[in-house]
Amino acid sequence: MSLTRAHLEELRALLGDDGVLDTEAARFTYEADALTFERGMPDVVVLPRSSDQVAALVRWAHARGIPVTPRGAGTGLAGGSTPERGGIVLSMSRMDRLLRVDAGRMFAWVQPGLVNLSLSQQVAPHGLYYAPDPASQQVSTLGGNVAANAGGPHCLKYGVTLNHILGVVAVLHDGMVVKLGGEAPDAPDFDLASVIVGSEGTLAVVTEICVRLLPRPEAVKTMLFDFEQVEDACRAVSAVIAAGIVPAAMEIMDRHTVEFVEAWLHLGLPLDAGAVLLIEMDGPAVNLEAQVGRVAAAARAYHARSTRVARDEAERAALWRGRKSAFGAYGRSANGFYIMDGVVPRTRLAEALSAVHALCAERGLQAGNVFHAGDGNLHPHVLFKADDPASQQQALEASHEILRMCIRLGGTISGEHGVGIEKRPMMLELFAAEDLATMNRLRAAFDPGGLLNPGKILPGDGDGRPATGARHAPAQLGGMRAGAGGAQGPWI
Amino acid sequence: MNPSPALGLDTARAVDPARFRLGGTAPRAALRPATRGEVAEAVRAAARDGLAIVPWGGGVALAHEPAPARYDVALDLSALDRVIEYEAEDMTLTAECGASIAALRRLLAARGQEAPLEGALAERATLGGVLASNASGPRRLRFGSPRDRILGARVVLADGTIARTGGKVVKNVAGYALHRLLCGSRGGLAVMIEASLKLVPAPACRAALVFGATAAEIADHDRWAPIPRLEPAVLTVVGRAAAAALGLPPMPGDFTVIVGLEDDAPWLDRQVSATAQALGAAAARLDGETAEALWQKLADLEEQDGPRLSFATAHNTPAGLAPLSGHAAAARLVFHAPAGRLHVFPEARDAQALAGLLAEKEFALIESRGIESLEPPIAPQAAVHQLRSRIRAALDPEHRLALGGRWERGEP
Repeated sequence: MSLTRAHLEELRALLGDDGVLDTEAARFTYEADALTFERGMPDVVVLPRSSDQVAALVRWAHARGIPVTPRGAGTGLAGGSTPERGGIVLSMSRMDRLLRVDAGRMFAWVQPGLVNLSLSQQVAPHGLYYAPDPASQQVSTLGGNVAANAGGPHCLKYGVTLNHILGVVAVLHDGMVVKLGGEAPDAPDFDLASVIVGSEGTLAVVTEICVRLLPRPEAVKTMLFDFEQVEDACRAVSAVIAAGIVPAAMEIMDRHTVEFVEAWLHLGLPLDAGAVLLIEMDGPAVNLEAQVGRVAAAARAYHARSTRVARDEAERAALWRGRKSAFGAYGRSANGFYIMDGVVPRTRLAEALSAVHALCAERGLQAGNVFHAGDGNLHPHVLFKADDPASQQQALEASHEILRMCIRLGGTISGEHGVGIEKRPMMLELFAAEDLATMNRLRAAFDPGGLLNPGKILPGDGDGRPATGARHAPAQLGGMRAGAGGAQGPWI
Repeated sequence: MNPSPALGLDTARAVDPARFRLGGTAPRAALRPATRGEVAEAVRAAARDGLAIVPWGGGVALAHEPAPARYDVALDLSALDRVIEYEAEDMTLTAECGASIAALRRLLAARGQEAPLEGALAERATLGGVLASNASGPRRLRFGSPRDRILGARVVLADGTIARTGGKVVKNVAGYALHRLLCGSRGGLAVMIEASLKLVPAPACRAALVFGATAAEIADHDRWAPIPRLEPAVLTVVGRAAAAALGLPPMPGDFTVIVGLEDDAPWLDRQVSATAQALGAAAARLDGETAEALWQKLADLEEQDGPRLSFATAHNTPAGLAPLSGHAAAARLVFHAPAGRLHVFPEARDAQALAGLLAEKEFALIESRGIESLEPPIAPQAAVHQLRSRIRAALDPEHRLALGGRWERGEP
């Protein structure tokens, strides 16, 4: 699909001259998200400023059969906002306003291009915050978070994006604007907004979001434990849960990750530890002292060698710094690496980690792990030689085997990154043909023409056309490096 | 009673259709399949014979459902009541949808956990029924709605296909969340047969503080403003007539307000003091199991006899009820404030005016019972209705699931 000059003029009439980007250089910027080995060149990039403009654009594209791929900050790790079939990339970056805050009733309406962290900063004067905190929160947008049903370290206690979305204004496939849910926690009838959350922009284009805000916790306690064996760290996580405590976050870094982080930042993390476990609890101060004691006891019961408790905000930031820098540390040290997002039941974590290492070792590869242990959400980083096609192929094979293992253990292929293009083939292994056919029926009900972010999520979906976007050989895997994120590598 | 032999299942699965009346109409046949395979077989057979089906749980919500245009077969799912997997340390549960809420609650309580679903009549209400009717209770703010708790489901589609979406792990973004969409679908899109839930640990302590309140006190915005920030588990207002069923001592004023607290002891004590500072001394306090039993009684109050209007609202304190001051319907109202759910039980002739009055005060009518002539004060958007209609047509093209009729094209 390439657009004619007349098409571009029509788009400029709808969106203004500065709302339409069609030079090759500009379009090139939008050909991939953070999964850089899947690419697709958009025919045009549009930057609307209002719901009405989005509606007009979608109506225009619908009438002409042109695909529309919505995009937030482009931090996605699954190719979800890559315009695989060309057409229009609909960037929400100019729709970035906080529209309304109701501090008493603890909700806000926002535009989808608003950056996650910016929302919490803007409502902070009311003593409120927005709980979901994907590690990309300094850059990723709420619209992108809704599309991916983003998680983050603190979703163990507070839940994922879905649990904080009260409603959306969305543009349907034909340009109709609908309000689904809203300030009141319930809409009548079956819940359309809840299925749009996590649908990766394939069911509707979200143009306004009503989010639930929470009172800022009175106090926070952050603790760091180290273990000789990563399996013991995993068991300690289960023991904390078994004790009836739901910390705000429980994050594990394994030995490989600690080595990379230490080589870079020299934080004083123990290099001889099999794993480092970070546990954060928040809530009323009067509860936390007793909880700290119980958590420490659970960790010691599983052979925690040392316990550090942050005494102030600076120490807390120091304890988190290693965890938050892990992605950047890999990018800096590793030749090439591939990040995964599998989930297993929490009680199978130790088993899953052993399997990850075995599956990589069989192929002469190494894997590091830094993950949301409380949720059973693994983020193995499979390392390979970027300049060696055989090594890259083995990394891809290992990563598929790791996801198969997650499925076998009762888990899933993605906890928070989404399916996008990347995990589409694995959907065939996670679900039966009838399951996928049912999902496809649902998608077709929302988007009969198959023009909203076509091709994503379901293998061979919709009109059955194969994807036409450029498909790069695994040699491009080497592009998976930390870039703009720097020390606070934002992506996981 | 013999079902139509064409329904395929052994006659041993036939049950008395008289028990499954909707709006006074009994179906031609009723079946009680024992396995998911039998459910699929029954649905497939019904589809083949062009019969219209209504899936049944405990009949709590369906007791008030008007008769659909066609109603041939009741599919009683109560025999599918097995717990398929419960791993306490994963805080997840997978169970068949005929399991009762009370049975699940007992199972989980033994391991110090809670099923994060509430609804009236927990002994009768089933997992599938609570999900399909999007039921909730006074602790709605703490638990979220059913769509917030469901992790995955197995369903039988109207053509008998068994399909699964989601999974059993607490984080999962693989594929479309049909299981969430089915919350509130009343069995009109698909038959839910299994569901996985995210559980919560039972709180260390529970307390219910009970206050009487006059209409003037209810309307006093400043009085209640500090309460939501304390994050109570319950903030429910009950009219005088409804309160009589709670077994509490009579309260001064026309309303009874229950502040429910669930947390570790030190913070609960602080919440109690902060509540007393805002509202004065409580007239009564219940602790532990008696408080927990009160939550169920508050949920049960939603099932009072007679016409009922249910509203969703963003009002998160009792002050939202100010417009009802002096209204006859106030005597039997139940308002779960932080979760924004109001049930009123008006005389049928007052219902339209009451719905209109509340609509102006940001209460959106989400359900009406026993009031056939009521027009929705705010008609659903046509585009939303059309979308529902397309979803129904995609999942049940031949309109076999009778309660999906509400989404037929052309309505409302």
